[in-house]
Amino acid sequence: MSAPSELTDRESSPTYELGVVQEVLLALLSAEVSYGYQLRARLQLALGPLGDSLNGGQVYVTLGRLEKTGLVSAQRVEQSERPDRKVYTLTETGRVRVSEWLSDTSWPKPAPAEFHLKLVAAAAAGLADPVRLVDAQRHALLAALASTQRAALAEQDESVAGLLLEGVVLRLQADLRWLEGCARFWGLKGGQR
Amino acid sequence: MTRFGPLLSARGLRREYGTGLGLVRAVNGVDLDVAAGETVAVMGPSGCGKSSLLHLLGGLERLSAGELRLADQRMDAMSEKSLAQLRRTAIGFVFQAFHLVEELTAAENVELPALLAGRSPRAARERASELLERVGLSDRASHLPSALSGGQRQRVAIARALSNEPELVLADEPTGNLDTAATVDVLRLLDGLRSSGQTFVIVTHDERIAATADRLISMRDGVFVEETRLTHGTSSGLGELAGLER
Amino acid sequence: MTIGRVFLVWRLAQADLRRHPVEAALLLLAITAATATLALGLALHGVTSSPYQRTRAATAGPDVVAGLLNLAPPPKNQEAAVGPGNANRTASGQGAAVEPRQGGETIFGHGYAPSKTRTADLNALAHAPGVIGHSGPYPVAWATLRVHGLTADVAAEGRDPSSSSVDQPKLTQGSWVASGEAVVEQSYADALGVHVGDQITLNGHRFRVAGLAVTAAVPAYPNTEAAFGTAPFPDPGLIWLTRQDAQRIATPALPLSYILNLKLRNPAAAGAFVEARSSLPLSLISSQTILQQDAKLVTVEQRALSIGSWLLGLLAVASVAVLVGGRMAEQARRIGLLKAVGATPMLVAAILLVEDLALALLAAAAGLAIGWLAAPLLTSPSAGLIGSAGAPSVTPTTIGLVAAVAVGVAIVATLLPSLRASRISTVRALADAARSPRRSKRWIALSSRLPVPLLLGVRLAARRPRRAILSGFSIAITVTTIVALITVHAQEMHERVAGFSAIDNPRTDRINHVLLVLSVVLVVLAATNAIFITWSTAIDARHQLTVARALGATPRQISAGLSAAQLISALPGAIIGLPVGIALVSALTHDGPTTIPAPWALTAVLLGTLITIAALTTIPARLEALRPAAEILQAEFA
Repeated sequence: MSAPSELTDRESSPTYELGVVQEVLLALLSAEVSYGYQLRARLQLALGPLGDSLNGGQVYVTLGRLEKTGLVSAQRVEQSERPDRKVYTLTETGRVRVSEWLSDTSWPKPAPAEFHLKLVAAAAAGLADPVRLVDAQRHALLAALASTQRAALAEQDESVAGLLLEGVVLRLQADLRWLEGCARFWGLKGGQR
Repeated sequence: MTRFGPLLSARGLRREYGTGLGLVRAVNGVDLDVAAGETVAVMGPSGCGKSSLLHLLGGLERLSAGELRLADQRMDAMSEKSLAQLRRTAIGFVFQAFHLVEELTAAENVELPALLAGRSPRAARERASELLERVGLSDRASHLPSALSGGQRQRVAIARALSNEPELVLADEPTGNLDTAATVDVLRLLDGLRSSGQTFVIVTHDERIAATADRLISMRDGVFVEETRLTHGTSSGLGELAGLER
Repeated sequence: MTIGRVFLVWRLAQADLRRHPVEAALLLLAITAATATLALGLALHGVTSSPYQRTRAATAGPDVVAGLLNLAPPPKNQEAAVGPGNANRTASGQGAAVEPRQGGETIFGHGYAPSKTRTADLNALAHAPGVIGHSGPYPVAWATLRVHGLTADVAAEGRDPSSSSVDQPKLTQGSWVASGEAVVEQSYADALGVHVGDQITLNGHRFRVAGLAVTAAVPAYPNTEAAFGTAPFPDPGLIWLTRQDAQRIATPALPLSYILNLKLRNPAAAGAFVEARSSLPLSLISSQTILQQDAKLVTVEQRALSIGSWLLGLLAVASVAVLVGGRMAEQARRIGLLKAVGATPMLVAAILLVEDLALALLAAAAGLAIGWLAAPLLTSPSAGLIGSAGAPSVTPTTIGLVAAVAVGVAIVATLLPSLRASRISTVRALADAARSPRRSKRWIALSSRLPVPLLLGVRLAARRPRRAILSGFSIAITVTTIVALITVHAQEMHERVAGFSAIDNPRTDRINHVLLVLSVVLVVLAATNAIFITWSTAIDARHQLTVARALGATPRQISAGLSAAQLISALPGAIIGLPVGIALVSALTHDGPTTIPAPWALTAVLLGTLITIAALTTIPARLEALRPAAEILQAEFA
């Protein structure tokens, strides 16, 4: 009777796919070469409870894809009593890709995980000051908030569209609050170093 | 009024407290130009020095170093008396704590700057009525501050700041003590004033207020770290922000 | 209360006092002033009776003194003798109608012979029932004294070089009478400025001052004439000569009078003795009356002092009220804070009470000490009597009363804020840092028409009317005393001009002295008050003034506004003080109509007061105006 419970197990623990896993891995690799398992561990650490439900295999699959597209290069390392492992290094193209990703301030949806990982990676790899990244992102969001707010104010007081715009503004405001917290956190961490 | 060059121009502003080990650099080298009719918002975490900066810009505190010009007058070299005159004619203030005089009615509060500038009581009272109407509080003219809500009090304070038609209005956390609804009221008012050409420098940590500005500056540890133009953004990304997938 | 609690209260009270040392010091000063005057007044109470008794004992003072004036209306062939300086009295004595010369033996020159009947009456008294001892009758010559360029009138009593059994004046300096040598009565010598060894002339005859002495037989100068019922000239002094000398210097115009000292078996019956013989053409005076005369001297002074102490007391109360008012505002917030951290209202009240009690008791002790030390300064007087009123009795009653007053003030000062605190909730106590200022639409509207400093001044005064009234009140009291002083001077000048006395009448002197001391103390207190009120106004109005500065008021306008606020409340007070001061003097010295000082003097006082206030308030005002505005605007949350 294990089959049904197995099924149930699988259903009750949905796995998430991180669209950004590619860039994060690249960023993490920019500091040092790593094994796949190490990268996975770092990701799980950064995601905390969310990391538990990270699809285990996704990291390896992504690494494979990255290798294919030339963003990383892999080297087989022979192990005595274990299957062979690959150690991954960032290529030049990969490096360029990382830097593009860091300076991209688009914010299509509320996406705390992605930005959060961006900061973690940047800090871990010493790529950029997380606080500056936050500042840049905040300004971008504020610009978005400004234009949304302008549109909202232009609406009549009780208009339906106005309500939607108000919603957007408030969410942006919430995001901005979080970003403030990020700046505080990473500012402190920076101070400790 | 056409003006060549910025209305307000600051170079290398510094404000320090204490000495030796206890030295605190509240403002540590700030350059700022504000054009006439522009609204500039300064944001930053508490303790970053933004309030000190505002006090420097308004002549309420002396610079430790640097130059400050308002309409081509060197403010940092002025006497207390001249600074006071400047505050009477060219600079208006709005504070987080409103700072209305508690025993005066709204109208009496608003007419105060005019009286201090030597206008006749009648002229002062007329100007006060005009301003109270502009901020939407003519029906509250004879109320004491204690009978007004936070948002209403701040609007009275804004009216007061406009009394002598100042070239520049400095606002320090204008919505700091207000709830959401009052914030929106003040927001609308500021937006309206901005579009009628008033020059503002607003210090705030409220994103919504900051978003009304033409320019946004982030401040940290006494220096400016980031600056953005906000006015020229389009509503193109609005759909995505609202959750509509491309 | 456990020991731990008591200790805690004490510690908190100490810490609190130390945090506001200036306020505590001012409160101490104010209560000390009040207690000092109180102590002074009480100490002077009945100050003369002791010295008088001592003198009586030391000089074997008489119970009854009988005087025979012996002056008759001048005979038709002689003009009325007019004593120098005696503009209004003639030589016809009052009362005793004496028969003109009856051809009996003339004693000296052309004088009137003492009528034998009169002398007989006097002698008979010496053997009257109830009399157990007597001395005299001694001759008394009325003479013009010249010394140190001064001219004055004296009664010169002729005595024996040997001691008398009743009334032997006690020498305080020098030696007793001898031929050509005179002894001057102590209080008179003080007034004249005469010392042992000085040369004097009496009716043209030269004498050397051999000594100074005191007696209980006649009241101290200037009431000496009371012993004779009347005298040829007002306010005569007393001098002793040998009998021969006295008889020698008598002039025909003013013949000898006689004086007899009696000792009764029952001293208390002296009054009755005198009464019984009121029909006699003699003047009799009992020792009790003499005491009264002496006491009169001090009474005027005492009255001056007691009125002065009322004034000081009122001023002290006013200062204390201001201080307490200022403290109360602070207290309410402190109480709120203490309550917020868990102190019960009782504990809080206990802390405040301990603070105020400590100050009050300290002030009481200081006040008593000052009173004790200062009293002799004001009562050297009856210098005619042995022992200066010296250690004016700091009796247990005095101590008790003074302490009670001080403690009373302390309790009142604590009680009110504690009551308020227990009534209002903690939250409100914290938020309501002070009583809300009074809003007066009329004053606000009025002030808008005025220039900026006056605008600020009027509004500042109007928002705390009680403080304004207290301020005016304390100025009124100060001006009252200063005006009283100059009125007394004016009176004295007037009297000198009219020639009533060529020498300082100690009585006026003393009143002057008392008023001067009081004025100085009052002025110091009022000045402190003015500074303190300005300071507390500045603190109380700090928010409003800072807002004004942010809106463009210059520092000069702010400081002028603060001074103006004080002046506005001081002006009515000063104006009221002028007439009250004059009225006070006529209440103190009812010697005929009071001279009103010159208008220019009064104006000078008025302007001087206002200018002084303006000057005094400048310092705290300026300091306040130059505080960094930003600090206050940030700290304050309206």
